[in-house]
Amino acid sequence: MTGTRRGLRFPYRLERRSDVGRWAQLAWLIVAIVAALIASGLLLLTAGADVVEAFGALFGGGFGGWREILETLVRATPLILTGLAAALAFRAKVWNIGGEGQLFAGAMAGYWAFTLFAGLPPVALFLVVIAAAAAGGAAVGWLAALLKTRFNVDEIISTVMMNYIVMFFLSLMLSGVGPWREQGSYYQQSAMLPESAQFLVLLPRSRLHVGFLLAVLAAMAIHILLTRTPLGYEIRAIGFNPTAARFKGTNVPKVMAVTLAISGALAGLAGAGELFGLQHRLVMDLSNGLGYTGIIVAMLANLHPLGVVLAAILFGGLTNGAFRLQVATGVPSAFTFAIQAIVLLFVISASILSSFRVRTVSDVD
Amino acid sequence: MEPLLRVEGLSKRFPQVVANDDLSLDVRRGEIHCLLGENGAGKTTLAECLYGFFKPDAGRIFFRGQPVRLSSPSDAIALGIGMVHQHFVLVPPLTVVENVVAGTPSAGVLLDLAGAKRDLETLCRKYGVDLDLEARVWQLSVGKQQWVEILKALYVGSELLILDEPTAVLTPQETDRFFATLRQMTREGLSILLITHKLNEVMQVSDRVTVLRKGRLVATVQTAEVTPADLARMMVGREVVFRIEREAIHRGEAVLEVEGLRALDDKGQPALRGVSFNLHRREILGVAGIAGNGQKELFEVLAGIRRAGQGQVRLQGASILNRSPGEIMARGVGHIPEDRIHEGLIPDFSVAENLVLGQQRSPLYRRGPFLDPERIAKFARTCVSSFDIATPTVRHPARFLSGGNLQKVILAREFGQCPQCLLANQPTRGLDVGVIEYVHRRLLEKRAEGVGILLASEDLEEILSLSDRVAVLFKGQIMGIFESSQASLEEIGLLMAGVRGETA
Repeated sequence: MTGTRRGLRFPYRLERRSDVGRWAQLAWLIVAIVAALIASGLLLLTAGADVVEAFGALFGGGFGGWREILETLVRATPLILTGLAAALAFRAKVWNIGGEGQLFAGAMAGYWAFTLFAGLPPVALFLVVIAAAAAGGAAVGWLAALLKTRFNVDEIISTVMMNYIVMFFLSLMLSGVGPWREQGSYYQQSAMLPESAQFLVLLPRSRLHVGFLLAVLAAMAIHILLTRTPLGYEIRAIGFNPTAARFKGTNVPKVMAVTLAISGALAGLAGAGELFGLQHRLVMDLSNGLGYTGIIVAMLANLHPLGVVLAAILFGGLTNGAFRLQVATGVPSAFTFAIQAIVLLFVISASILSSFRVRTVSDVD
Repeated sequence: MEPLLRVEGLSKRFPQVVANDDLSLDVRRGEIHCLLGENGAGKTTLAECLYGFFKPDAGRIFFRGQPVRLSSPSDAIALGIGMVHQHFVLVPPLTVVENVVAGTPSAGVLLDLAGAKRDLETLCRKYGVDLDLEARVWQLSVGKQQWVEILKALYVGSELLILDEPTAVLTPQETDRFFATLRQMTREGLSILLITHKLNEVMQVSDRVTVLRKGRLVATVQTAEVTPADLARMMVGREVVFRIEREAIHRGEAVLEVEGLRALDDKGQPALRGVSFNLHRREILGVAGIAGNGQKELFEVLAGIRRAGQGQVRLQGASILNRSPGEIMARGVGHIPEDRIHEGLIPDFSVAENLVLGQQRSPLYRRGPFLDPERIAKFARTCVSSFDIATPTVRHPARFLSGGNLQKVILAREFGQCPQCLLANQPTRGLDVGVIEYVHRRLLEKRAEGVGILLASEDLEEILSLSDRVAVLFKGQIMGIFESSQASLEEIGLLMAGVRGETA
């Protein structure tokens, strides 16, 4: 009978903590990143690379000098915005996976506005273009909210599906029959933007454009929105407990729609930055998954808007480092995706582990 | 004689609290042993340890004189310990027999339903259980469903039956019958550990009673040798005032008029079937009824959270039917929802943020387009001191507060927003005696201020002592409205069961 069985007992037990301090969280984050780097090192070993040399290339390529740091900020710019897009929506527990499509929608709306208002002076054109890009992203986000609140369509499905719709629409516009195709070009791309339409470059002989400032300002604005405004209060409230928010008069569908619209607008701005600040023409590989990487950035930042800036810079550096890694050691630069995933897994694991503590128990028998 | 169950020095700690601290007690064969204590005293934790659901941190359990270790409920069931929880685990479309047989270890691949039915009939006869074994569970009242749970425990041969607050779902008459059956079961040799926080039940049914307070065992006594006042003192740790002093005041004009209200429940079934009443200023109108007879839907429709299909609701003469919760709130209707954690609060928000929930757009707490944290904190500190909310600071997350303090947060918030009327659904459920006294006093103060209060409670005595009038709700209809001074417990109990008496 079970009751009389005596065996060895594990003398420790995991217990949920009620609250985790700020410093403890930071300590766990550092532990997680170090552990992730060790795991990445093991992966590098299996690829036959010299681990010290590989990490040297990775960090040197990302943060090794002034030029590298500026280039890292260039990479970080769209990630800050798509990261904010994900972080804001996730705070309301609205799962916007459509950052990629909203980014393209923003770029397309911005390009369309450029075709209409190309004659405006540069500053006015800049304002028109970013407003149009934000509106384009917001419209796609808002559509997902409409589908959710009116027809109960899960936003995860609708936002992902919308990514394809937007991408194929762009493909159509750039196709041989599309109006945006560069005259006589063999490639699926638009004509080069004139210099007057390109975003201002912040520092000479770098690619860092004004979109970076826009992204940092957006992070501060979203931080203030969440912590200091009634709308931010409602976004957090429906994320934590939509029932209680509804019971106390919050119009939950409306707040969801506004949240998704702002989230889409942020992703749309990322698209404008890539188009007008970096690539200077509309191409199918404008993004290469920036919308999806933004989700990882947001998770890594624990959905905190200012943390998103740091996480985006880290990921921007990793991307650049991976290029040097490939040159120096022959490890393919796709390795960066593996590192990103490893970092994310360790950080999420740590944030769960940090809410537990180990306790010894005395024997019951 | 060796007792059936003996517990020595059992302790169980949780991160925040010691739920059971060095408890020792025994349950004899053929006795009804009550486990009495306030919410949070550790009654259910102890029961879950005895049922193998929790592992104790220290202590020994003996069953039939043998030391046992319970790693899971299946160990407990194999030994002969059965438990009926507050929430039932039944399959509504299946019959009683099917529910009992499904999930029993001996069921095998092919079910012997006929044999099982014979066995169950024998059990029912033996213990005097009155239940239609071929009925489908959804057709049964909640009280009968509880018997299905008890039969499940008996069918697998339980000798010790642990019942967690079994009378919460019963009318007074059903409770009497329930206790009579428990008596017969103990005469047949079963032992029963009955968890309750109701003193009158302990006095009525138990042989012995063990009182717990804050995880510690106060005493185990023979029920015949103590008075209810003794038990209350043991349970709370101080003298308790039982009578509520309700001064007679003349009620004012009708503030809320409800006419022919019809609404559906979450499953789309009719929950309100033509409810009409008037709520006056300076009165408390009690809504009596067994849980699930439309109370939740009635309060939600009045608060604007649930849409009504038909009918009319007028606040001071103006229709508020199917207006948004925000608009009804703005017109001066406060709402204390039934489920305070899920409907009344945002546990991850701070105490201060919870106190302004619903008012976040009010100019009172804003400076320009921004929230004004200082004004919010100032308001919160006023609430904390005037409602005696125990929290280290107003910035502390609400989830760390006890149930009583959470309820005080809701009271403080709603009291500030209800100049016209207050909808209080189960405002004292699950609270400690001390906090219940406090809530009662504040409700009566609010009534004296001229607010009309609609009060629902599962505790009939609470309703009768607080209310000026009592409306009995049964299956979505009002069976009658009485002046509480003229109503009797028996009469109301019958109406709660849907029986319209000749005298009514």
